[in-house]
Amino acid sequence: MKLSLSTIVTIVILAFGALAPFIFGGQPYILYVLTLALCYTIPAIGVNILYGYTGLVSLGHMGFAGVGAYTTALLMKDVGLPFVPSLFGGMFAAGFLGFLVGIPCLRLRSHYFIIVTLAVGMILFTLFNNLDGLTGGAEGLPGIPRPGNIEIGSFVLDFRSLTGFYVLTFIIAALTFGLQYILVRSDFGRSLSSLRQDESLAAARGVNVFGHKLAAFVLSTAIAGVGGAMKVLFLRAAAPLSFDMNESINLMMMLILGGAGYLVGPVIGAITFIALPEFLRVAAEMRLIFFGFVLLILARFAPRGICGAAEVAYRKLANKEANVVRYT
Amino acid sequence: MSAILEVSDISKSFGGIQAVNGASFTLDHPGIYGLIGPNGAGKTTMFDIICGRQVPDAGKVLFHSSRVDGVEPYKLSRQGLARTFQECRVLPEETCLDNVLFAAQSKRMTSEMLQVFTRNTKHRRDAEVEARRLLRLINLEQYADQPASDLSYGQRRLLEIVSCFMSKPRILLLDEPASGINPTLLNTLRDFLVELYEETKIVFLIVEHNMEFIMSLASTIIVMHQGRVLMQGAPEQVQADESVIDAYLG
Amino acid sequence: MATAILEQFINGAMMGSIYVLMALGMVLIYGVMHVLNFAHGVLFMVGGYLTHLFFFSWTGSYPLAILGSMVALAAIGIVLERLVFRALRDNLRMQIVSSLGLILIIQNGVVQIWGPHALQMRPTTVETLVKFGQLSFTLQHFVIMGVVAAAVAALYLFLTHTRLGTAMRATSQAPEAAVVVGIDPNRVYTLTFMIACALAGLGGALLGPLFIIFPQMGDAPMLKALSAIVIGGMGSVPGAIVGGLGIGIVESLSTLVIPTDYRDTITFGVLILMLLIRPWGIFGVRVRGED
Repeated sequence: MKLSLSTIVTIVILAFGALAPFIFGGQPYILYVLTLALCYTIPAIGVNILYGYTGLVSLGHMGFAGVGAYTTALLMKDVGLPFVPSLFGGMFAAGFLGFLVGIPCLRLRSHYFIIVTLAVGMILFTLFNNLDGLTGGAEGLPGIPRPGNIEIGSFVLDFRSLTGFYVLTFIIAALTFGLQYILVRSDFGRSLSSLRQDESLAAARGVNVFGHKLAAFVLSTAIAGVGGAMKVLFLRAAAPLSFDMNESINLMMMLILGGAGYLVGPVIGAITFIALPEFLRVAAEMRLIFFGFVLLILARFAPRGICGAAEVAYRKLANKEANVVRYT
Repeated sequence: MSAILEVSDISKSFGGIQAVNGASFTLDHPGIYGLIGPNGAGKTTMFDIICGRQVPDAGKVLFHSSRVDGVEPYKLSRQGLARTFQECRVLPEETCLDNVLFAAQSKRMTSEMLQVFTRNTKHRRDAEVEARRLLRLINLEQYADQPASDLSYGQRRLLEIVSCFMSKPRILLLDEPASGINPTLLNTLRDFLVELYEETKIVFLIVEHNMEFIMSLASTIIVMHQGRVLMQGAPEQVQADESVIDAYLG
Repeated sequence: MATAILEQFINGAMMGSIYVLMALGMVLIYGVMHVLNFAHGVLFMVGGYLTHLFFFSWTGSYPLAILGSMVALAAIGIVLERLVFRALRDNLRMQIVSSLGLILIIQNGVVQIWGPHALQMRPTTVETLVKFGQLSFTLQHFVIMGVVAAAVAALYLFLTHTRLGTAMRATSQAPEAAVVVGIDPNRVYTLTFMIACALAGLGGALLGPLFIIFPQMGDAPMLKALSAIVIGGMGSVPGAIVGGLGIGIVESLSTLVIPTDYRDTITFGVLILMLLIRPWGIFGVRVRGED
């Protein structure tokens, strides 16, 4: 059996991610940036299920991430729950909101659905920003505790240390990636994929269009909630600006940059978008201008992002006749 | 025995235009049925109503004695009603094999969710044998692993039809299968449809413009005119009927 | 109470007029080309900055600066249509990706050029106050409403009484038929983008001096305009006008009852409600079919 490109890339990325604490042990800055990139990888995987596979555009996804983030933060800080139940709490809160929003809105036609997601994102941001009693308002919610230590014999994993937290984020991102993997490579994933390609045909073949869209939306918002929770736990503060419209747009952008509809697309996108510019040390504005141009070019010439371009190149290499290159 | 498909007194209007006006017909036995009529006779609307794309203003459609008018297309599909599209629809990004296999898989959310966790692929491997046989039947076996978007229009049409059979339908609705197909391929298409009919013995209901094609294929022709069913009978009968000729000559 | 209502009503009508300008631009682009241009807000913002630039560096005259910014935005519109959107016709997802890319480029480009801090300009219309009993408004409030009314009237006359306007309407209603009667759709698309961008520029030029000119000044008007065209009915010009004015007035009046911070929530709440009850909008026509 020939290894597919995505399998090879997945293995390389997983190995690199697992070994990163050893490689960059002495360089906290690199580890910091990688952790941040992982915090974005998780919601990007959520958006990949929604946009990359099901074909629905959401421009308010960081709002749902924010719901997960604030819920987890409040459960840990004020209720005093441990990390794992708090994270599940955040995941359920975000997914449940996705369910409530999805029920009326997923029957709308595509343009309208995009606008609704934008509006919901704005409403959530307004709430984060103004429910001072609950969310701390514009100043945000400081002093969120990190998960407690895990001791296995004499080995102590301290999540307050950067390395410890990196490992935790890596494990959660890897689990999310695993979930994405089993979801999209299943009958369910194939049904979602059919919706992206031709909704009428999917319905004629027996796919419950609304039900499947709702399932994809709930899954994707729940995953976004986990990502948001990891982000605020990492930064140890929840601030509304982490979950505004620009962040939602950045999230879409990462995915499109990496390659929507590819398993590793969100990972590559988040690393390229977050980590690469940090290491290249370019000013934030210049970086965004640059990515803006990249988006224009991608939209025109490579709508399937870095992964799509790599796939075309790989197929050309693997098959010299090169008449099976897939364009979409 | 009750009828397989019974359409009674269907009416549907758009704005001020009465597209279908009290049309009725019954399909009692398995067979290849042709639904024809001059432009504006209401056959496309009738087809859309049977497929669940339109809800009739009045009348009902019974499929094996259960009401199916106004039922959503995905539910109809699960009841064993398969259809093709006039503009020919396949999943462009999937391979030909995956297109056929996709039709075979269950799309019920519960069984899909179960499959996510059990990761059981037996049904898929079982279906693959049948899928490859069907692809061989339409000479697309060598394209099995290529995306459907690589196929020519005629090949996609054939792929669309075989995909329908993978879901083991009890009735197959074909929306102008001959449109956009070149004359050479038309004969292949006819032979292929006859072969599939002999194998499955279910109801084929075909809306068609191409008279020569449908007259040589169908065993029964239903003629619609001005939103009503003008007559139903064997091709020779229909071709000889004065009122049908009048309807077409206008 | 009555004076407070009147005050908020005038304020709302003024902001509503700005939304109308934005909504008209977006609805023209959507109606004619079926593109949702999320970058319309940053074009509005560029209009504000260019007015500031033309006012202080070149002309010293506010009306000339407005005109200059409209012309410059029209030129930007031509470039955007030709270089970005033309190749992406009928590709909804990639149009959205491109408009997001444009937001990033233009917003951060402006920060690079002018810095992140807000700019101010005070033409005499902003300094002059108009008094009604206890209430006072700047003259600019009425300039905005007057100019927008004039712009709407001009646009209406253009669409109904000129060959180009008729070509635009024809293209939006039946693109294939328009081609048959000899209309070049590419010219119509370029023209649409030009007019829409000039309207955004006009909006920025009018609102900028009243408040401040800053990189995010276009975000809220774009979102409100988007809500306006959905509420009015996607593709409906009268809908954009009613929707824009309505949103301006409702959100302004709502501040009398609920805290100002939640003003935006009202607009988006109304938008979502509208989509649930009547997704084709006030003036829109229900579209049959599934896609």
